[in-house]
Amino acid sequence: MPPTPSDVPDRFLVSKGTLRFDRFMNAAIRLGGLGIIIAVFGIFIFIISQVLPLFRSAEVKEIAAMPFAAGKAPMVFGIDEWAELPFYYEGGSDVTFVDAAGVKPPRTLPLTLPGGAQVTAASYISADQLVVIGTSDGQIGTFTVSYTAEFGEGGARSITPDLTMGEFYPVGTSGGAIRAVGYGDGGETKVVAAVQDSAGKPEVHAVVLKQKRSLMGKGKLTKDGDYDLTPMLTGAPVNLRVPRTGDAVLVTTAEGVVDYIFLGGDEPEKRQEFKPFAEGRKIASIDLIFGDVSLVLTDDTGEMTIFSLLVPEGSDQRLFVKTKTLANLAGPATFFARSQRNKLFLTGSGQQVSLRHSTTEQVRWEQNVGFEVKGAVIDAKCASFALLDAGGTLHRYSLDDPHPESGWKAYFGKVWYEGASKPEYTWQSTGGTDDFEPKLSLRPLIHGTLKGTFWALFFAIPVALLAAVYTAQFLRVEVKRIVKPMMEIMASLPSVVLGFLAALWLAPIIENRVPSLFLVFGGVPLLAALVGAAWSRLPAQRRAMLRPGMEWVAFIPLMLLAAWGFWSLGPVLESWICVIKDASGQPVIDAATGRAVADFRAWWPQITGTPFEQRNSLVVGVMMGFAVIPVIFTIAEDALSNVPASLTAASAALGASRWQTLRTVVLPIASSGIFSALMIGLGRAVGETMIVVMATGNTPVMDWNLFNGMRTLSANIATELPEAPVHSTLYRTLFLGALVLFALTFMLNTAAEILRHRLREKYKLV
Amino acid sequence: MADRPPLTYSIKPPKGEAQVWLTAMGLAVGIVMVVALLGLIVKRGTNVFWPKRIVEIQLKEGGPLLAERVISQKNLKTGREEWLIHSGNKSKDDPGTTYRYVDTGEITGTAEPQGVMKAERMEYGDAIFYPVSLTARDGASIQSTDPTFRAKLESLMKTGAAERQQVQRLEKVEIGRINKKIQDLDVKIKVHPEQAEALTAEKATLQAEYEKLAAQARGLHEALGKDLLRCRLVSGEERDQAIGELIRVYEPNKLGFWGRLKLTFARFWDFLSEDPREANTEGGIFPAIFGTFVMTILMSLVVTPLGVIAAIYLREYARQGLLVQVVRISVNNLAGVPSIVFGVFGLGFFVYTIGSQVDSWFFSDSLPTPTFGTGGVLWASLTLALLTLPVVIVATEEALASVPRGVREAALACGASKWQTIQRVVLPASAPGVLTGVILAMARGAGEVAPLMLVGVVKLAPSLPLDTTAPFIHAERKFMHLGFHIFDVGFQSPDSLAAQPMVYATTLLLITLVVVMNLAAILLRNKLRKKYAAGTF
Repeated sequence: MPPTPSDVPDRFLVSKGTLRFDRFMNAAIRLGGLGIIIAVFGIFIFIISQVLPLFRSAEVKEIAAMPFAAGKAPMVFGIDEWAELPFYYEGGSDVTFVDAAGVKPPRTLPLTLPGGAQVTAASYISADQLVVIGTSDGQIGTFTVSYTAEFGEGGARSITPDLTMGEFYPVGTSGGAIRAVGYGDGGETKVVAAVQDSAGKPEVHAVVLKQKRSLMGKGKLTKDGDYDLTPMLTGAPVNLRVPRTGDAVLVTTAEGVVDYIFLGGDEPEKRQEFKPFAEGRKIASIDLIFGDVSLVLTDDTGEMTIFSLLVPEGSDQRLFVKTKTLANLAGPATFFARSQRNKLFLTGSGQQVSLRHSTTEQVRWEQNVGFEVKGAVIDAKCASFALLDAGGTLHRYSLDDPHPESGWKAYFGKVWYEGASKPEYTWQSTGGTDDFEPKLSLRPLIHGTLKGTFWALFFAIPVALLAAVYTAQFLRVEVKRIVKPMMEIMASLPSVVLGFLAALWLAPIIENRVPSLFLVFGGVPLLAALVGAAWSRLPAQRRAMLRPGMEWVAFIPLMLLAAWGFWSLGPVLESWICVIKDASGQPVIDAATGRAVADFRAWWPQITGTPFEQRNSLVVGVMMGFAVIPVIFTIAEDALSNVPASLTAASAALGASRWQTLRTVVLPIASSGIFSALMIGLGRAVGETMIVVMATGNTPVMDWNLFNGMRTLSANIATELPEAPVHSTLYRTLFLGALVLFALTFMLNTAAEILRHRLREKYKLV
Repeated sequence: MADRPPLTYSIKPPKGEAQVWLTAMGLAVGIVMVVALLGLIVKRGTNVFWPKRIVEIQLKEGGPLLAERVISQKNLKTGREEWLIHSGNKSKDDPGTTYRYVDTGEITGTAEPQGVMKAERMEYGDAIFYPVSLTARDGASIQSTDPTFRAKLESLMKTGAAERQQVQRLEKVEIGRINKKIQDLDVKIKVHPEQAEALTAEKATLQAEYEKLAAQARGLHEALGKDLLRCRLVSGEERDQAIGELIRVYEPNKLGFWGRLKLTFARFWDFLSEDPREANTEGGIFPAIFGTFVMTILMSLVVTPLGVIAAIYLREYARQGLLVQVVRISVNNLAGVPSIVFGVFGLGFFVYTIGSQVDSWFFSDSLPTPTFGTGGVLWASLTLALLTLPVVIVATEEALASVPRGVREAALACGASKWQTIQRVVLPASAPGVLTGVILAMARGAGEVAPLMLVGVVKLAPSLPLDTTAPFIHAERKFMHLGFHIFDVGFQSPDSLAAQPMVYATTLLLITLVVVMNLAAILLRNKLRKKYAAGTF
């Protein structure tokens, strides 16, 4: 009878401690291993989580509705940057500030108007916190609203408003009432313009003010010119706008035409008249977007277009050109407010409110608010906006739209940027001014990545595959043991070293010797084929002198000699072909030597019209070869030498030569392995960073020119991410670039892995 | 492919020999590329330390030059020989470039004068001159023709070096300590405003101490400038050079082969052990070596256990099925994901997410200045650990898989538990494989630059991430790195010609490091394969 467990003496039992430890370690490893693997894939999830906010639209929430201007909509109203103390002005001699929290009572500050005049027009310039007013007796003046914030105990903020009155200037001569005003502060020059009633007929007048700069700060404003612009107009003026550059007046007429009058010169000059909409349509609204080079126009049916100031092809002047069409509004736009941070603007018709972005033509948010909107204003931080209804109630909304300039169109579509003469793919993430429009197209970067990869593979594939074939099939086994690690050492060269050598050693050499390089590239393979052909015609005894598998050693001195020869022939070739021609098509003669000047660097742009740069794709391609060749070589060599020996032996036994064996037996079997080697090499080239950062000019251009640089996704991340503010649009866009890289390489590698797996199955069958 | 039958001894020429030669060309090109590149780096790198003869060059136009001939090469534009010469002698009033190319067509005569002396200086790089006399701070003066001149100069330099060290110690250690205390006090004053008075008083005493030490350092510094060496430049101009600023003087034209070899090693040692000078273009790269070392070690400390645990799980615990196969392929593929992507992740996750969280918990006193919320050696190591994790996992898995099944079964048959089998039998047997993976990971980590640029590498770190002030390991500090040093010195220096020797030397060092590590891994792997080739069925 076998012993039952209870019969087993204790000393034969596994100790409890061992069992406990075993259980503990098993659990720990399972947990740890699973955790690590999940964490690794967390990389992917984290990057996606950083990218996702880019594709969210604006979030708008109503905070509160507060009684503001009792009973009716005021003439103008504005808000401070913290959105705590909005003000309104009803055309009288005071301005009222209302506490948004409703805690403190409304407060009025007095204004001093010139005697007896009625205010007939007013306009609020949010960027300057300035209100322009026009009076019934034909005077224009301004007042500035300023807010001072004081921080008390515990960081509580108390805001004190203040008013500064500007001087009043009479406009025109008639003393007629002002119907519409515009004001542009261009620093030293300020322009005030108005539509004025003159004997029942509207006229347009503009006053140019100059501010002399002095050592003591800003000097006094003096009137520099007073112009009657009415004769220049195409029809009866309706409305006008003055851009903040202070050098122009834009007037809309009753016939639906916009007149662009330039004031930056000595005299007013009419630059352009254009009809933004179809014949018979009237212009309902005209407004300027942040940056003041783009006009948003709507017509009486709600159609919305954007015109931008740019230099059209074939012109030397900046003119307004239609660049964008946005989604239609429900009707003519009745209000407009612009952001002071980006190209967002808030507009709408009647009860419809729509938040739009001009760069991407996107509607970021749209809603029917349920009341007639009479006016809108966005605060300076672009964190909230306020809408005013006909009853004088102010509806405040929080606005959260951190990435308005993103979206599929911005990243992958052609966008007509401000100032550009046509729609294009551009990457230019930062600019010198606040009103810079970020250009975030990933297309040039993807193009650059593919271009770099293409040229790298162009140089690497032949060398790597030929070497792999030779090593796997023809090389003697004992030599292979040395050769393979040598090639693998190449893979370990840090890319920063390759990049440094590419830029500071290789680029200056290649720059001067492009023809030589091409001769070497073409000549050496030719030589190899010729030598091979000649060799195989030698008598067998002669051929026996070189052991098979040692051809490459014999070829090295030959190759070096030939390379040196071709290298020195290069300048000769250059002097034949690359003769530079002057404008009349005659060769340029060097005065010192009396010979025609030949220089590839100048010849290439002359022939092809594309530039030649010192740090170009050729340099990158050649140097990236060092990074890609070993990758392809190793994997392809593995695939080739894993082909069962029984097959090659059978082929040889049937009388095939070693080349025939390779071509008909080995290559077909190993082809998928070779293909997977190419894909992994491709993946390596796509992600290569330092070589590209160092050896190209990093200009995001879109061409396939071998003698021009490029900017790749990876180089773009390396150069821009350290400077990108956390969680900004640029930051997230760079994460998007990383995601594209990640996905691309991961897919390539997976495909390669599957291919290789298939190959392994195939061997098993054999 | 051990025993392939001989294929060549036929009378008729075999088909396709020309194509075979074409493939032979591929291999020849590959090998030549590797050898040429390594050769170039070794040649340029060692050339930096080899003392060159100093040549007096007479030019067609302009005065004579006294300079080292660094490289002689053919100008690809003119086709004539040109020399890269280094004339040194920068000074406060004359901060010109010291490296320039001279066309040999412009040279009318050269000579190698015997009395010329080269000095390595603390500031303004090298000086090349004829010594005239020296004046010690006690007023004693010796002409250069005096036989005791050289000995006196050396002894003055020795005292100068000692004083310099003292100044350095004062400035770095003592004053640094006081600065740290003052900073801590500032934070304290911010946090406890009620104790401000007492703390301010304490701060004042510290400041007084600081002034005293600073005055002491200044005094020493002034004394250093009082031993003067009078030098005559080739233009005939005479300058006084403070001997305390000299690091090494030698007369290259009087040195024989062995003397120059000895000097080469001495200079190489300086390169390894000293701090950089002159915006990283002179001096040594010790902080970069040290930074690379600390970062790599930290990284391997993290990556080894993680990689091994994950591999053990995948190979020994997880049920082998489609899912594990998918995971395995994915892990393998992570090795092919570009390093910059890991850098982006490191910046976004470690620095901005974890780092700022750690700051808000433990270092809120010093906010808004970030402590862990900015790049540092810890985040860099973790980022590289992630980057190299697939390498370790794959290598370990391979090693585990190659432990013969019979060995495991034997262990289990002897009554060992699963973990005991792994711990006592499987792991020891696969240790060399794991080691190979770790070495490969370290080599990759040491050579990687792109992700580091995002997570904490800097061109000049004021202090090392490991030092003698508590808590000794400063994981939040930024660090220098050999690879980034190459990028920075080669590309961000105003005088790129003057920076090149430094870059080549650093490159040589980095390449040596990486190649040696890789070779070690390759050899280890080969040995391992052989071992198991005999052991398996």
